[in-house]
Amino acid sequence: MPRFVARAALAAAILTTTGALSMTAHAKQPTYGKTYAEDRAEIEDLMARYLFAIDYFDWDSYVETFAPDGELTFASGTSKGRDAIRAAVTSFSSRIGQFYHTEDGKPAKLRHVVLQSSIRVEGNRAWGRTLWVEMANHGPGDTMKMGTYGIYEDQFSKIGGHWFIQKRNVLNEFLKGRNSGPNNPVRDMDALAEASKK
Amino acid sequence: MSYATDRAEIEDLMARYLFAMDYHDADAYAECFTEDGELDWAMGVARGREAIRAEALSFRERIGEIFKDSSGAPARLRHAVCHKAIRVEGDRAWNTGFWFEMTNGGPDGSILLPSFGVYEDELARVEGRWLFKRRKICNEFLPGRQSGPANPVRAMDAA
Repeated sequence: MPRFVARAALAAAILTTTGALSMTAHAKQPTYGKTYAEDRAEIEDLMARYLFAIDYFDWDSYVETFAPDGELTFASGTSKGRDAIRAAVTSFSSRIGQFYHTEDGKPAKLRHVVLQSSIRVEGNRAWGRTLWVEMANHGPGDTMKMGTYGIYEDQFSKIGGHWFIQKRNVLNEFLKGRNSGPNNPVRDMDALAEASKK
Repeated sequence: MSYATDRAEIEDLMARYLFAMDYHDADAYAECFTEDGELDWAMGVARGREAIRAEALSFRERIGEIFKDSSGAPARLRHAVCHKAIRVEGDRAWNTGFWFEMTNGGPDGSILLPSFGVYEDELARVEGRWLFKRRKICNEFLPGRQSGPANPVRAMDAA
């Protein structure tokens, strides 16, 4: 068989396969309401404020990013309500210097950074799946080094016109038992959002 | 104007600023600032768009001296901006944004991560366009240029 015919046959086979895939495993695409841009902008701002608060040990600002009955789950467990969240996070923060320190043993300047987010909004509720990475000055000679990465699995609530974190689950691909996946986290988010409408 | 629209335009300004910086486009860089804008960075404070343009014209040479690849040639420095807390009040706005930088200055041309820090910005809308009125670049790896210890978002909210 001439090579170009073989290639065409292969291309046709791929087309058939992807065509079948798109029929059987087509994910339901989200619909975006008229206020999506506004909601998303506010939620992105909220997530940035969360990170600056944690990295500069500003626990008052930190807990205010949560709804009063908000929930935080991370390696240390689940905390419910602002007071419990504050207690869990301040305790964790005092211990993290053991893992992130400069060569002379001082706590490193740890920075949490967020990259892309998929955000789903349904009225006064929203869901997010966000990639985070952390970096600090704990490399050789106190140089910059990237630490770990993972995702935030979030649920948000709009209360009195403002968005708050209702539930945040911090998953870390470097901690056993705290990894995300193996399924696409956005599918889980879409399923939760769909279920909330019923 | 909605917050989303303002935030989108301010994010675009910040992206344009970084492309201008990394590709040595001094004119585009200076145009990100108001006429009386101020740039406060590691090598000093430049006041006014003309002074900022002059500063930007020297970036290539000065940065090339600091960041080199393994052959000694100027490295390809790229700045990245990540999360941003942005407050908008009418024609004024404030930003606290996290940045880091990367180069091809590692062994055998591999990626190297030299530093990170925050931008502490004041912005103004002039004739419908958001511009930097003042940009302060804090770098956590340069003594005397570090941010904090207080949460910079608090200072921005108090302004």
